[in-house]
Amino acid sequence: MALSDLKEWLYGCTHCGTCKDVLNIFAPACPAGERYQLESYFPSGKILIARGVADGVLNLEDDDLRERLYACTGCLSCEQQCGVYHHQHIFEIIQALRTEAVTQGCLNPAYMVMVESLKKDDNVFGKPKAERGRWAEGLDIKNAGQEKAEVVYHAGCLLSFDEELREVPRSAVKLLKAAGVDLGIMGMEESCCGGRAYEIGYMGEFTKYAEHFMETFDTLEVSEVITSCSDGYSTMKKLYPKINMYIKYETRHLTEYLNELIKHEKLTFTKKVPMKVTYHDPCHLGRHLGDDGVYDAPRNVLNSIPGIELVEMERNRENAWCCGAGAGVSQANTELALWTANERLREAQETGAGTLVTACPWCERNFKDAAKEYGVDIRIYDIAEIACQAL
Amino acid sequence: MIEAVKSKIVEELEKIVGSEFVSTSQADLYIYSYDLTPAESKWPDIVVLPQSLEEVREILRLANREKVPVVPYIAGGNVGGLTIPLQGGIMLDLKRMNRIIEVSEADMYALVEPGVTFGQIKAYLEKNHPTLKYTYAFSPPSTGVISNALVQGLDNLSFRYGAASHWVSGLEVALATGELVKIGSCAASNTWQAIAPFPETAGLVLGWQGTTGVVTKAAVNLWPNPPHNSAVTFMPVDLEGAYEIFQAIIRTRIPDDLIGTSFTLNKAGVDAYEHRKMYLHPAVHREGDEPEFIITAELTGNTEKELNAKMEAMGEAVRAKCGGYKYTGPDTAPSTTAAFPMQALGVLSSGGGLMWVGTYGPMSRWLETVKRGCELQDKYDITRTCYTRIMNEGHFAGLRWMLPYDKEDPALVKRINDLCAEQLDLVLETGYIPYKTPVWAVRRLEEKVGTDWLKVHRRIKETLDPNNIMNPGRWGMPR
Repeated sequence: MALSDLKEWLYGCTHCGTCKDVLNIFAPACPAGERYQLESYFPSGKILIARGVADGVLNLEDDDLRERLYACTGCLSCEQQCGVYHHQHIFEIIQALRTEAVTQGCLNPAYMVMVESLKKDDNVFGKPKAERGRWAEGLDIKNAGQEKAEVVYHAGCLLSFDEELREVPRSAVKLLKAAGVDLGIMGMEESCCGGRAYEIGYMGEFTKYAEHFMETFDTLEVSEVITSCSDGYSTMKKLYPKINMYIKYETRHLTEYLNELIKHEKLTFTKKVPMKVTYHDPCHLGRHLGDDGVYDAPRNVLNSIPGIELVEMERNRENAWCCGAGAGVSQANTELALWTANERLREAQETGAGTLVTACPWCERNFKDAAKEYGVDIRIYDIAEIACQAL
Repeated sequence: MIEAVKSKIVEELEKIVGSEFVSTSQADLYIYSYDLTPAESKWPDIVVLPQSLEEVREILRLANREKVPVVPYIAGGNVGGLTIPLQGGIMLDLKRMNRIIEVSEADMYALVEPGVTFGQIKAYLEKNHPTLKYTYAFSPPSTGVISNALVQGLDNLSFRYGAASHWVSGLEVALATGELVKIGSCAASNTWQAIAPFPETAGLVLGWQGTTGVVTKAAVNLWPNPPHNSAVTFMPVDLEGAYEIFQAIIRTRIPDDLIGTSFTLNKAGVDAYEHRKMYLHPAVHREGDEPEFIITAELTGNTEKELNAKMEAMGEAVRAKCGGYKYTGPDTAPSTTAAFPMQALGVLSSGGGLMWVGTYGPMSRWLETVKRGCELQDKYDITRTCYTRIMNEGHFAGLRWMLPYDKEDPALVKRINDLCAEQLDLVLETGYIPYKTPVWAVRRLEEKVGTDWLKVHRRIKETLDPNNIMNPGRWGMPR
């Protein structure tokens, strides 16, 4: 969306600051604002910057200004807290500014590398496309590109290439197979969903990947795509329709699917996993989905595992604090990403839980990095890893 | 500011607070250059965010030496343009100084730093001292507790206790020279229970809009938090009835809070509360049997029996005094105290602008002032949006006409400005004094107050701020 198309939303903000804190509990809501404290890092500040740019008072060539624009994890907590009529358009405004910056050639070097990698290898990590399916080695699973499968598991960029997270997609596949699901993967033919390109303002790349993604699955006549990646999930569910692309296949997040399998007794957990855990709601599985936010399914899955004691953090569900990795922040502003994650790890520790469980690889990756960086003693797992232990 | 001077000051500021908390970025300066009112935009030269008293004092010493203006800032939502840097200089953003230092259960006060917000203190008290409460302004939760007291705000215990400046029981103030003054019992002891019985030098700071120093700590009164509460509403069909209902309730001394709003403000505000843009122009009018005014009294009780008895007594008092007027009520409604904070503050949802002529004035001229103010709104085809809060058990009233507006509509902005100019003439005639006084109203008041008043004020300002660096151009501006 171009900034000029969003003018309607640029002038509603009175800079009241309601977006800064979680309503009623008044705990911080905005990672960037909380970290840097200058008004320009808070959502209201960014809307005012957009207004300044639209009015010609501020210029996107200003490096400081762009640094503030990119210091936003796109967590949408501001949209949750704000009550003014523009409240569902705050990140859209930030994204439009980023798009405008790209259009004007005011590029962020970290993203240039990322986008080049996308163009070359269909992933944002600069990894060879040929390595994309390696995570599944030895799993005895169909290649959905060659053999018809009822359900396709989409690992996504991060789970395809991050060796430390390899057990996440492998656990997901084991769980689905244990429930008798007719499953396939795309292997090296899997590609990026394009969501990250959207968030950093590369609309051309986003559109290209959206088209490719949909075309692939439509051609294969896949009936259902399951993913562990919350980013990818919300991209398919919410971002594709923004550019008038509507998927024909059913898509569900792994936790929703597992929840269904458990409910219909197709998946049962027999082993005890004695752990006190707290669950981190990924922004893309919660707020990004609006009224369709997935909050209960992951909790239901955890509660169905024998031995698990689930305790809640103060900021949970719609009001969860972000992990810090979103909207390109973990690629371009590692310091902010890790600081944000560390804040969450501390909050998790306050519950008395020794384990933080989440349902998004971007969250898990960032939490693991922050735990290492800040020396936080807490175990971090994806929900599939925990569930798999109970098989 | 000359670039070479600015560079030197920035360098020194970075040494004081760290480079991360000093900015000359256009993006930052722009944000602090205007607020939600139509006040003319003025850019600061530098933004700085200190975290400690010593940092504040060092910044002030530096600014005083270089004769650079300093504007204290918390959230900027004062609806008076009070933090717009009229003469540029340093924007002293105090939000990092956000410690709640002490809550004394026995003495019932909270000692806070300037960055502490209403939301923060509410959450803190609920968690740690649930039998105590502070008050809540009709403003977003990000509003500063100290800044609200400094600008003498009206809050939801104002019927009982007056303006927020009345609840300050101790102050620590850094002067422009870097000197540090404690005001109240804290000057001579470790407790912050009261300003009395010292000479009341708090008046050198309260109400001065940051023109005499930077408050680095303040103790504010806390109040018992009774477990039972309710709101009771009356809806008179005319302003005469509203005035009589207010008078009847005032004499009962029962409520904690007593407010009234034009019915049409609520009618137009429905859009805002439902997350849509609200429009005041063309005017929304009441129809048929709709009332002119909605009066709400907030009641609390230690027991349900006490609460019910209060409701009954208040209803009886109104019936006895107001039999000749047409009104509905009393009706009970959920307490608005319980609803704080108001996520969808209706007044904030019209296009980024909010303006009003906000005043404190005598109850004796309330009816005349409200009637004429509303008639002026009719003249400009603007919805009647009177908002009044009875203060200090009826000894005076807060009165304003809320004017949310679309900043992108120049014709509407002119209409609003013209209306406010006429409403200002009106209130000055009827003894209603503009509060959180915008600079344009300060200049008008200075024409009324007499030369000796001006001399004294300027002498005070000069004594405390010899180089006129503190939020210059407002109260006490040298000739």
